[in-house]
Amino acid sequence: MESERRDTRDVIRFENVGLRYGLGVEVLRDISFHLIPGSFHFLTGPSGAGKTSLLRLLFMSLRPSRGLISLFGQNIAELPASERSEYRRRIGIVFQDFRLLDHLTTWENVALPLRVLGKSEAEYKSDVTELLKWVGLGERMYAYPAVLSGGEKQRAAIARAVIGKPELLLADEPTGNVDPQMAHRLLRLFVELNRLGTSVVIATHDYQLMDQTDAPRLVLHDGQMEVR
Amino acid sequence: MNWFQSISNSLGSNAWVSLIQSFLSGKKKNEPPPIVRAESIAGRALTMVIAIMCFLACLTAGAVYMVNQSASAWFNDIASEVTVQVNPTNTADLEKTVTLVSLFLAKQHGIAKVLPLGPEESAKLLEPWLGNTDVLDVIPIPRLIAVEINRSSPPDLAAITQALETNFANVTLDDHRRWRAELRTVTRSLALGGITVLLLVGAATVATIVSATRSAMASNREIVEVLHFVGAGQRFIAHEFEKHFLTLGVRAGLVGALAATLVFLLLPLVMRALGGGSLAATEIKRLIGTAGLDWQGYALFVLVVIVVASLCMLTSRLGVVRILKSND
Repeated sequence: MESERRDTRDVIRFENVGLRYGLGVEVLRDISFHLIPGSFHFLTGPSGAGKTSLLRLLFMSLRPSRGLISLFGQNIAELPASERSEYRRRIGIVFQDFRLLDHLTTWENVALPLRVLGKSEAEYKSDVTELLKWVGLGERMYAYPAVLSGGEKQRAAIARAVIGKPELLLADEPTGNVDPQMAHRLLRLFVELNRLGTSVVIATHDYQLMDQTDAPRLVLHDGQMEVR
Repeated sequence: MNWFQSISNSLGSNAWVSLIQSFLSGKKKNEPPPIVRAESIAGRALTMVIAIMCFLACLTAGAVYMVNQSASAWFNDIASEVTVQVNPTNTADLEKTVTLVSLFLAKQHGIAKVLPLGPEESAKLLEPWLGNTDVLDVIPIPRLIAVEINRSSPPDLAAITQALETNFANVTLDDHRRWRAELRTVTRSLALGGITVLLLVGAATVATIVSATRSAMASNREIVEVLHFVGAGQRFIAHEFEKHFLTLGVRAGLVGALAATLVFLLLPLVMRALGGGSLAATEIKRLIGTAGLDWQGYALFVLVVIVVASLCMLTSRLGVVRILKSND
């Protein structure tokens, strides 16, 4: 984790990364870390510490003000826009605000990442159904997001993020709207996914959740990061 | 693999090809739902705007085409005829002179038809100005001979004029040169005016449709972003939106074009119902012919629909690119 050697096998590498919005102060300062394949980390810190900004940097929806970010060994500053989608397909992301499409059913929302890969429905039908049952949405597969509860939406968003068996999973407060029992169940899903080789970064405030595993914590405080 | 599949494979992924394919193959039963929302408030507003602008553009294109056709027809009519006039003053035997001139003209090369007008017909031509009075029996009215020219092998009008002056007294030939020059100016002005109006309506249509499509795209921003974040490439997202907006453009454009077609089909009937014998109807008919369009006129409508639908498609693609750029 603290290795200074540049390893092209790193899933994520940050070197002296800084981020500011417009002309404001830096919300992230001199962030340096790297994650190896198959690692499992929590990203935590007080509200406004920059957890979501860091996840957005990882997902290439923000550009750093300075420093270097590498994803899967590739410096993203040198990555042409046309190739970014290839890298995004290797990442699953769970948004804090779910971002489900209201005109598609839960099942169709979860199947979306496989559909954009050009797969036919026959190829992924059973996988999507099985995963939805696993996250407790077996009875809500054909419901539209408008009629789902916050917890159900969150589970659907998680299912959408993991359906493509991503190499890296980024989750922003994935258990914020579910009861402890469901939170534990979802954590088991993330651990299982990690066991199969997916690197996982979960941004959360939920200490109870973090205490359930001995995964290292990336703690953001005052724009800087420390590893615990 | 059928012929269309092989063509579409060679063309690659294209919204027009997808649209034609779906028309040919019909909707598949287990086809996944469209990723872009089929029905939305912005989409319905856009459909209405496209239909109305397409209707106006088709009406303008049809009217300009019709006026141009009529103007060309007037010009051709007038260019294929000359008039020989026999002045009754100092002409001893008017009837004999008219007959001799007619026979002379009929023998000339390039003359298709010679039609001497009788005294009553010549007098009738003056009725619009003098009215139906006894004056017409008293004043000397020139006798006219209408001469139709063979346009494929026209006569030497200068030589004929010279020959008429040499062989007959008080006989002149009017080749409508002055009238034709004026008419040419009028037809060119009409064509130019029509094209200007068409360009203005075209520009208004483009501006309105681009603006309405942009608004509709703004309401789809979230869909673009979600597709982007689940790993869809720009090409995939743009294709999904192009398909949607092209279908919407074609449907709405067809509604507008069909409404304009109905107007042009019903126009002659309406004119007849308004009173075909009335002076107004006659004048309108003289101005714009039968008020009907030929197939080339209706083909213009198809062109308008294609342009309008392509415009929607292109604007949606640019909208997708703009949203993706703001996310990268």
